[in-house]
Amino acid sequence: MATSTIVERPALVRQKRFSETYIGQWLTTTDHKKIGIMYMVTAFFFFVVGGLEALLIRTQLALPDGKVLDPQTYNEIFTMHGTTMIFLFVMPMFTGLGNYVVPLMIGARDMAFPRLNAFGYWIVLFGGLFLQSSFVFHAAPDSGWFAYAPLTECGVQGVNCIPATPSINMDFWALGVLLLGISSIAGALNFVVTIFKLRAPGMTINRMPLFVWMTLVTSFLLLFALPSLTAASGLLLLDRHLGTHFYQAAFNGDPLLWQHLFWSFGHPEVYILILPAFGIVSEVLPVFSRKPIFGYTFVAWSGVAIGFLSFTVWAHHMFAVGLPVVAQAFFATSTTLIAIPTAVKIFNWLATIYGGKLSFKTPMLFALGFVAMFLIGGLNGVALAIVPFDYQVTDSYFVIAHLHYVLFGGAVFAIFAAIFYWFPKMTGKLLNERLGQIQFWLMLIGVNVTFFPMHILGLLGMPRRIYTYAPDLGWNELNLLETVGAFIIAAAILVFLFNFVTSLRQGQPAGSDPWDAFTLEWDTASPPEPYNFKTIPVVRSRRPFYDKKNPETADWKVAVH
Amino acid sequence: MSVAYREGIPALEQVHDEGGRSVGWWGMMFFIASEALIFANLIAAYLYLEIRQGGHGWRLPSEIWYPLINTVILLGSSAPIHYIAAKGIEKGSQRRLIWGLLATIVMGAIFLGGQVYEYSSLISEGFTPQSQLFGSAFFTLTGFHGLHVTVGLIFLLIVFVRALNGHFTKERHFAFQAGEMYWHFVDAVWVFVFSIVYLLPLLRG
Repeated sequence: MATSTIVERPALVRQKRFSETYIGQWLTTTDHKKIGIMYMVTAFFFFVVGGLEALLIRTQLALPDGKVLDPQTYNEIFTMHGTTMIFLFVMPMFTGLGNYVVPLMIGARDMAFPRLNAFGYWIVLFGGLFLQSSFVFHAAPDSGWFAYAPLTECGVQGVNCIPATPSINMDFWALGVLLLGISSIAGALNFVVTIFKLRAPGMTINRMPLFVWMTLVTSFLLLFALPSLTAASGLLLLDRHLGTHFYQAAFNGDPLLWQHLFWSFGHPEVYILILPAFGIVSEVLPVFSRKPIFGYTFVAWSGVAIGFLSFTVWAHHMFAVGLPVVAQAFFATSTTLIAIPTAVKIFNWLATIYGGKLSFKTPMLFALGFVAMFLIGGLNGVALAIVPFDYQVTDSYFVIAHLHYVLFGGAVFAIFAAIFYWFPKMTGKLLNERLGQIQFWLMLIGVNVTFFPMHILGLLGMPRRIYTYAPDLGWNELNLLETVGAFIIAAAILVFLFNFVTSLRQGQPAGSDPWDAFTLEWDTASPPEPYNFKTIPVVRSRRPFYDKKNPETADWKVAVH
Repeated sequence: MSVAYREGIPALEQVHDEGGRSVGWWGMMFFIASEALIFANLIAAYLYLEIRQGGHGWRLPSEIWYPLINTVILLGSSAPIHYIAAKGIEKGSQRRLIWGLLATIVMGAIFLGGQVYEYSSLISEGFTPQSQLFGSAFFTLTGFHGLHVTVGLIFLLIVFVRALNGHFTKERHFAFQAGEMYWHFVDAVWVFVFSIVYLLPLLRG
């Protein structure tokens, strides 16, 4: 006989869903702030990878007849250095920053398409890992980051060059950039729609923070420039695998078609890498000068002008290929024209700090460093627009000097300004100021020691991308100096990593508004709640948070915007 | 978002929707704009290579009548999805939505079948992507369009199955709207591809 016993059942404990665990929250998130942070951490990881590749290059070139790398590995390393820094560091870093900051700045609760946003991030991560995994298969891309045909078609039937065996190295590159392109398109249209449709009441286009403006222009550039790269690398893959003849001169194809297509992506791309930096500097300088930006309209619309002009200058990368004289004159003119809106910005920044109450905190130092370094990169860039001069130094280290002043002295300095500026918002902790200052000075010295001698080496005739050089060419001392500089930069990055880890754990609490800033992102908790704003703010001027803190002298009372 | 609801904070759309086109419409529009530029680049490459080869015009070994009929079918397929399906669902008619979609899908499939037939007859005449530069350019440009037709058809088939399951209402049918936008784009871009590939050589005589 069965006695029925009442079994005491344990109270039902609901199993935590995966999306509720700490890791699950990150892996499944569609919150723009979490996605932004994931973008930035991923980008920084690839920055370290690309940086190690740079150190390998500089170690190989430190002394003449270097034997650190073999020639094939050297080709792979410099190709992956460029590809990584551009596609996997600077672009995702700016996408991440924009992701975090733009919705907060315009008073929105999230991006317009949160799931598309997450999709874009995961494509970057796996696209990046896909590209880097080529090292594991001993098949890293090896034709330079701009992958010129016909070099990329070596081994394809009917194309004669060395090595004549087909390899999959450039397939990794072409597929990798196609993947990353998908992600960038997703991100860019998300930014455009967010900025057009989700602004808080009163946040008119002409009141948007300049970082938002520059993100908008950058997104349009991505939408309209990336298709050229997609077409170019699609045709490359067809040539390599389907037997078409687009870039094969032997079959009436034209290797120059690659250059035209690639650079009609590649030059807007240069501005994709620098316009967000302009935006960052236009946010940081006013706050640390205690003044509104000088000439807001000019800063904003010169950005738009740069965006338009950037589509008209691509062939200045091709002066040495034998373009018609008329074409050379056109592209030299358009290239010098683009210096005008860029210079407008420099003067605006100078006028912004002129007469201000400057405080030289780390973000300000990096922003000022940006202005100085970018100015050098801009000036030697204008020099390269002069066709006869370009003939002399094209494909020499002078070009390397130019692009690194723009991209390292420019983009990277602005990225560190942004990290030091917004880190308190993202984490609630301040980065250590003293370590920040040490890092800044190390970087400023390192950048100039590394990249300035490249001008001279270029003029002395040292070509870019050479694996090694003979000892009697007069290049020895400067090369060694550059290598020393590269390791100074590496030291600066180590200081930053140490600062990052220690400040994250025991940094000074930041509060919601550590810099007494002007824009809406500081009118939230640090870090902000998932919904950003409890009530959507109403905007009445270009400095809404300044207005709120200073109701007596609010911008909309004293100035007409 | 759930957090926002719990604390009584209005959701995204409620705060920001100030009328005008929906967020999804704009997103789709910029996506299409970017796609269109891939076509623009391929067309530019096509013309560049043609001109570099002497500019005598690339002429297909086949007659134009077949692709012309195909073009009429493809352009015509934009009518039922707009005038029957879209106008129907705006009035809440499921029946018109389903029949309009079906008509467009059938016409799109006929176009695709026609393209396959055209390809096979060209290839049997020895005109292939590998045979000459013109072949490379022709099959790439029209093939890329064919790929878009295929993607559009898959898009519309998914929307069709959802329509059969009654997923769309008078107020909520964005997936359908996006599919329609994409289909119109695929049609419109064919006008350019057809003009460049088939009509331009005729002009040159």
